[in-house]
Order: sequence, then structure tokens, then C-alpha cells
Amino acid sequence: MASGTIALAAALVLAVTAMTTAIAQGFTASKAMDAIARQPEAAGSIRSALVISLALMEALTIYGMLVAFMLIGKI
Amino acid sequence: MEHASNVLFRIGPLEVTSAVTTMWAIIAVLTLLSWLATRSLKEVPGPLQSAAEIAIGKLRNYYEELLGKTHARKYFPIFATFFIYIIVCNYSGLLPGAGHLKGFALPTASLSVTAGLAVVAFFTTHVIGVRERGLKHYFLSFAQPLYLCFLMLPLNLIEQFVRPASLALRLFGNMYGEETVTENLYEIFPIGVPLIMNVLSLLFCLLQAMVFTMLLSIYVSEAIEEE
Repeated sequence: MASGTIALAAALVLAVTAMTTAIAQGFTASKAMDAIARQPEAAGSIRSALVISLALMEALTIYGMLVAFMLIGKI
Repeated sequence: MEHASNVLFRIGPLEVTSAVTTMWAIIAVLTLLSWLATRSLKEVPGPLQSAAEIAIGKLRNYYEELLGKTHARKYFPIFATFFIYIIVCNYSGLLPGAGHLKGFALPTASLSVTAGLAVVAFFTTHVIGVRERGLKHYFLSFAQPLYLCFLMLPLNLIEQFVRPASLALRLFGNMYGEETVTENLYEIFPIGVPLIMNVLSLLFCLLQAMVFTMLLSIYVSEAIEEE
């Protein structure tokens, strides 16, 4: 395949995964902030749940980035 | 990623890469440090012993919050080993020369290393599950509720086998991606900018070690929970 198409695909993979994950992580973080503001004494457990859920979302971006690296390696 | 040119030397059929030699060095350093810290235990500890005591105490509090007191105390060695080993591996990539000198590379930026860690994590989960709940009881728990077992069993089995893959890919992807991004930044603008990325890496390395061990302890607490 033409290398230009592969480059475009690699860029698109990272752009789309990063955009969607950023939106989702923003929602999650804002909800966690709300929860901490409402119940400051539960901040510790909220924070650990937040870190886990952010990491699980982050993994999807990382998979996208791996695919992008693989695609770039094919050029 | 492993390349044929990375192979330093061979022991029989085994290829020894830079990541492997770095891991040997890390194991040696950790062994030496823990030997030095526990060599002569005193009531009033010296600097090294108190540093080790504080670190281990914090780590134990962290696991007691996640797993409950009895199980955290019982299985503390394996969890602490995972955490200390992963965090030292991650931080070794920030030392000058990592990835450029021969025989010195960030171990967790190689999929083989993280896959090995994930396989150990997989067996840890199931061995602890079987030990706590008994063989029959533990494996029957994958088919609960029984009238839906034809649906639940494949789903649960797939989940169990996807978990180590996602653990391995997450750690590998984060570390490899971070290294590649720092390197590319260095090529674009060598002064100052990579420093910002390195400061961020200090945070990410800790976070990845925390996430790996936190997920592992969640899997374990799921495996030992009583219905």
C-alpha cells in the first residue's frame, strides 16, 4: 500500500483514540472532583477508584499508540 | 520491541538482551540493599534500616486498604515484590544512558518482560484463589449462577485470559511509548524540552507500578471473596 495512506492511518489511530479517551477521562475526573467536594472525608477511596478507572481508559489509548507505532514501522 | 541486533550473547539456546542484563543488575542491587538494610537489625535503627522500614510500612498500609488486613499480611511478600521490582525497573529507564549504552535498557519497555510479569500475576491470582477457597469451589465460581453456566463460563474464562494480556500490554505500552516520545522530543528540540517529559515520567513510572499492583490485588480480592 502507498506509504502516505499508512502514515495517515497511523495519525488517525492516535488522534481518534486520544480524543475519545480525553473526553471520557474528563468526565470521570470531573465526577470524582464533584464527589470529593461533596464528601471530602471519602477522598482517599475516591482517588484510588479514580486512578484505576483512568488507567483502564488510558490503556485503550496505549493500544492505539502501539498500533500507530506498528503502522509507522511498516512505512 | 526485541530486535535481533539487541542480542548481546547467548547461553545455550537463550538469547541475552540488554533488558535481561539490566534486570540482573536490578536484582543484584535490590538484593544487596535489602541485605545491607537487614544485616544488623537494631531497636534504634540506622538510616538504611529506618528507610526500609518506612517504605515497607507504607506499602503494607496501601495493600491493607485494598485487600483487608489478614489477606494483605498473608500475601504481602509477593505483592511487595511486584511493586518494588516494577517501580525500580521503570525508574531505571530515567538513568542517563538507558537504551543507548550496550547492556543497559529499560526492561519494562520490552514486551517479553511485561508478559512474564503478567504470567506470574495470572498464576498468583489462581493459586491464591484455589488455596483460599478450595479447588472445586474456586473453579465452580466461574460458572455462577449455575442455570446460566453455558453463558457465564465462556465469558468468565475469556475474561481471565484477557486480564494478563491487558496487564502486559498496558505496562509495556506506557513505558515503550514514554521512551519513544522522549526520544522523539530530543530529536526535535534537544535542550530543555525532554526535561519536562522526564519530570512527567517520574510521575508516570510510579503510576504504572501502582496500577499494575492495584489491578493485581483487585483480581486477587475477587478470587478470594466468599459468596
